[in-house]
Amino acid sequence: MPETTDFLYPFIEGDETDSGTLLEDLARSAEGKWRQSSALREATLARCEAQVRVTASAMAERFGAGGRLFTFGNGGSATDAEAVAHLYTQPPWGRALPARSLAEDQAVMTALGNDVGFELVFSRQLIAHGRASDIAMGFSTSGNSDNLMRAFAEARKQGMLTVGLSGYDGGRMAAEGTPVEQCLVASSDSVHRIQESQAALNHVLWAAVQAALA
Amino acid sequence: MGDTAQLTDEIQGLTEDLARASLAIARRFSAGATMWCASPTWTFHAHHVAVEFVHPVIVGKRALPAVTVPPAADMVATLRASVAPGDIVLVLADADDPRVIDTMRRGAAWGVETVWIGAGTQRPAAGSANHVIWLDTDVPLEASELFVRIYHLLWELTHVCFEHPGLLKPENACTDDVCITCSDEGRPAEVVLVDGDEALVRTPDGQERIDVSLIESPSPGDLVLIHAGFAINAS
Repeated sequence: MPETTDFLYPFIEGDETDSGTLLEDLARSAEGKWRQSSALREATLARCEAQVRVTASAMAERFGAGGRLFTFGNGGSATDAEAVAHLYTQPPWGRALPARSLAEDQAVMTALGNDVGFELVFSRQLIAHGRASDIAMGFSTSGNSDNLMRAFAEARKQGMLTVGLSGYDGGRMAAEGTPVEQCLVASSDSVHRIQESQAALNHVLWAAVQAALA
Repeated sequence: MGDTAQLTDEIQGLTEDLARASLAIARRFSAGATMWCASPTWTFHAHHVAVEFVHPVIVGKRALPAVTVPPAADMVATLRASVAPGDIVLVLADADDPRVIDTMRRGAAWGVETVWIGAGTQRPAAGSANHVIWLDTDVPLEASELFVRIYHLLWELTHVCFEHPGLLKPENACTDDVCITCSDEGRPAEVVLVDGDEALVRTPDGQERIDVSLIESPSPGDLVLIHAGFAINAS
């Protein structure tokens, strides 16, 4: 922070001693962000309602034909990929469905990252595992990750169904000529709020898949 | 989502708990802590918390040492071997998970700050962790979504605390001899080795030898209270 604005922050020198005011500010800030997250969740689910239905029915068709779900993403989105695979294989209710996160196996991830390059860590796994009846689902907040775009392109080449979850304006995953057939976008410029709405999208999409299979 | 006042009431306790936990976490990180993240059921949540702190989404924010306890590991054994006094142990789990209960009860002897995030009508017993951040919902998917919100907020608020260096100094530094925390009133410890009537124990201040002749069949891993060089109680 530039020194010229120090006068705006009376405690910048580190002699602040009363934590009560900070705790109140933190709680108020948390409440504001909570509201923002809830509002983005409602708006995203409302805007994506029809698309979720279409995507779920296409996914149910694949699962019905013996297809499997492969999920992937980087960083926090890799944990979302893991969460989705967990949800489909160990559901709180409904049918257990075959799903796996391509980011979870550190032996495979490091072997591919080291030997062929990080942009190919997911696409190379789809080359090994993919079948035309499968589903490729990738998570990104920017929608621009190179290794995701490569994986989607490979998946399309094989005839897999491609589903993407993105943020901001959708990025490359939602742009013209994208290999992503269904790109669900949580439109925000906060990575955290995007991931929170993507978690909601994952859950309603999963419930819609279950409904379509029932 | 209801009106504004109603939401404020619903989440007031939660946001206050988040605020206190964030300040405590920021203080520990400032003093050199590592944060150990674990979840026996939802490894992906533990991974998400760790990556959040290690590799911040906002460029320019400090990278902080956070680690996920491997899901296949014995949680207590791994943490016992790994944590140093002053560290943070953050767990996402239901209130009745025996591994988590056993981990959290050792927090005082290990000298770590414990944070327990979970959901459900059953809450952890009072005092079972330094910070309990709890959702009332019994709906698993709702809880899972809100966990993401909770640890994102925890990260965001922790970094706000770093802008207040004056408040990051250790709290309650004891300066007089009536302070119960520092006197030998009954300090928590975990038994490391037993050798006859003596035992090597671990406390937040390091390892020490104490007399265990007053307690019945002490064994490694037991939690005891030390008073004047004696183990007086297995807890």
